[in-house]
Amino acid sequence: MFEPATKAERKQYYTEEWDIKKLPEFINENIHNREFGFDHLGRGPNDRHRVFKNSNELKKFLRIRFPFAAYCSVAFYNKPRRRGDWLKSELIFDVDAKDIPIRSCDCDGVCEICLDEARQIVSNILDTLKDDLGLTDIHVIYSGRGYHIRILDKNVMKLNSEVRSQILKYVVGAEVPKSKYSSIESKERNYYAQEVYKKDRAPGYDKMDHYLIPFGYPAVFTKRVKYAITNMNGTEKMEEVNPKLMKDVLKYREMVQKDEWGLFKNKIGPIRYRNLVEGISKLNMGLVDAKVSIDLKRILRMPTSLHSKVSMRCMEVKNIETFDPLKEAVPKFVSERKGY
Amino acid sequence: MVLLSFINPLSDEGKQIVRENGSLNSVNEDNGDLIYAVERSSGQLDDIDNIPTNLIDLSLKRLECYVKKTYSPKEFDLNQYKYLFDKKIAKFDVISFYILAQAIAIKFGPASRESKEFVESQGFLIERRLFNLSNRESEEIIQRTIDSLDEVKWTHLSDLFSSKKLNLQELVLNNGNIILSEDEFMEIFGNKIKNRDPATVFKAVIQKETTELIVKSVIKQNIDDYIKEVSKNSSIIDPHPSLINIADKISKILKVGTNIEIKASTLEQDAFPPCIKNTISGVGSGNRNDAIVLLLTSFLSYARLYPSIFKNKDFRKVSDLDADLKITINEILPLIYDAANRCNPPLFEDDPQEKLNITAKLGFGVYEIPEMKHEGESKWYTPMSCDKIKIHLSSLCKPDATCKKDNVNNPLSYYNRKQWELKKRANSNNSNNSNNSNNSNNPAKNNSR
Repeated sequence: MFEPATKAERKQYYTEEWDIKKLPEFINENIHNREFGFDHLGRGPNDRHRVFKNSNELKKFLRIRFPFAAYCSVAFYNKPRRRGDWLKSELIFDVDAKDIPIRSCDCDGVCEICLDEARQIVSNILDTLKDDLGLTDIHVIYSGRGYHIRILDKNVMKLNSEVRSQILKYVVGAEVPKSKYSSIESKERNYYAQEVYKKDRAPGYDKMDHYLIPFGYPAVFTKRVKYAITNMNGTEKMEEVNPKLMKDVLKYREMVQKDEWGLFKNKIGPIRYRNLVEGISKLNMGLVDAKVSIDLKRILRMPTSLHSKVSMRCMEVKNIETFDPLKEAVPKFVSERKGY
Repeated sequence: MVLLSFINPLSDEGKQIVRENGSLNSVNEDNGDLIYAVERSSGQLDDIDNIPTNLIDLSLKRLECYVKKTYSPKEFDLNQYKYLFDKKIAKFDVISFYILAQAIAIKFGPASRESKEFVESQGFLIERRLFNLSNRESEEIIQRTIDSLDEVKWTHLSDLFSSKKLNLQELVLNNGNIILSEDEFMEIFGNKIKNRDPATVFKAVIQKETTELIVKSVIKQNIDDYIKEVSKNSSIIDPHPSLINIADKISKILKVGTNIEIKASTLEQDAFPPCIKNTISGVGSGNRNDAIVLLLTSFLSYARLYPSIFKNKDFRKVSDLDADLKITINEILPLIYDAANRCNPPLFEDDPQEKLNITAKLGFGVYEIPEMKHEGESKWYTPMSCDKIKIHLSSLCKPDATCKKDNVNNPLSYYNRKQWELKKRANSNNSNNSNNSNNSNNPAKNNSR
């Protein structure tokens, strides 16, 4: 398990086990508009800008070349060979188990524990994508060492990197929500000399911590902070959190698990609480690989292909709640290995 | 009560007013009621020559006010146009809106600069009109406007997110819809709010300013759609002569806005931000491609040719500023290629394709070198924002004191500011030096020390 695949095993996988019919429809459809890339030597994709007119051409290529890794673009182009005339791109969230900032395991690469934590994170992100952002046509792919959330909702495929970056920050909880609601620092309203904008105040609600607002982004942030505090093991490094604060967080975290936020904040103290959530918000940015989300021309591991570094199958996940990669994504040749 | 069409001329009420009073045969005739309403507007200058006397005049004044305010702010006097923001002219204003919209759609089309400026002018009017109303009136009309609009989805507002006028986190979202009305808020979230009055929470969290911005943006998009629709139908129906006649006048008013002077200037490397200096000195693998192709190419081309792009907000092509492409080919590209060769490993050695991508980012399609015949096949990319650099190229982002100053949010704004600082410093050194030399030549002053 998790051992690299040999050349013979790769060949066996692509000739005996791999089936073009299992290629997800969202890849198969308009396959001619995607750019494909391959890694033949195990040192990263060195064979890029390939185009296949249909899935049969792809099938032939994989059977003959059985690459170390196969990738396809998240973008659709009119001229995919040159990555020219861009049409649209999937919105991607890449959760890699080995890079999760808060993990309960101490493994070097990936293991059963951090893979399951990656699955939980994906599940949380999916809830926000659907409930808050109302997105549909979402596909979850097990990548071999983590998960890709691939969104083909027509409302997001033309969005630029700036907007994608905002979506990313929203779903992972990468910024502490504002807690002052009594006045607005206007960015836009400086048209009229020294005029000040008239507005009503909402008396008595000048300050509201994120956990007091059970909707919108503050509610998402509260869930992410709760997840972080619940899963911390005390070794996480955060600029704003010293060992004493970390110790207190672990000591009182049961209150957070019971949603007794006010009590928890009192125990920690308001300034230290602010430091803690600032620190967690920065860690949250590491829940997904931000570069993948904002890159419109990324190539991603192709579903059904083999992740040869860890001998796992990259595959579409039908139900994230019940998915177990160690049962469902292990190629046959792994079980035929000596000592398995 | 303020007419809904004063803010949203495309509302059913607005359409009804036009149906009843908007005969194009009388739009050129002096209109006593309009003159009376204009003269009675509070704060209006008593300037006979500048007062609109008919609906065509009023249409043009709407546009003229916006153009002057945007392109000649120093000469702009709001008091000349007070009537445009007074609710008393709402009934006339909605007709003048349709005259403009239809004339622009028929004569110039939806993709024209005229169309873009007209939509922006409506945004300006909405904003200023809401500002002039009392709190109660503006809240009430915003609420009625929200009720008159279809569901507003966050995906409709991508322009606002792109331009950072709006942050996704500021919105209250439910299944992709932005919750703007109190009734809807109470229905969805009322039961979830414990120990607090949900109505007051709504008022506190759903900020009036954000709501106004969203409403304004949705109305502008609807105007865009309306212009497209009219433009499409104009091929079937013969337009009224009044609309054709007014189009020339619209062009004349908008010409003012195209006379912005854009100065290209030589590159001042001392004013480059840290991320650009780090890129120029060579980038390691991993960040090479994006640093050279996305960051450096756009920065150097704009810094050299059009450093005021973000201030002017007027997008140009490279050839508008470098007609024979000599600066681009002889100055800008060599700097980019040198930086690419300083990468480790050199960028073009294992990725020669990136030379084509550099050309593409300058707006000349995917070719080895920029040529006039290919201009427009791709877009001339503006420099990425500091936020994006932090995410995308974090290893190059080493902020210095200038980076932390207000209004520095991308490498180009840093460059403009730093140039200004360096110039200021140089001027003060010069004046100090001349003072010192004057002092040393003045024995009386020397003796008095």
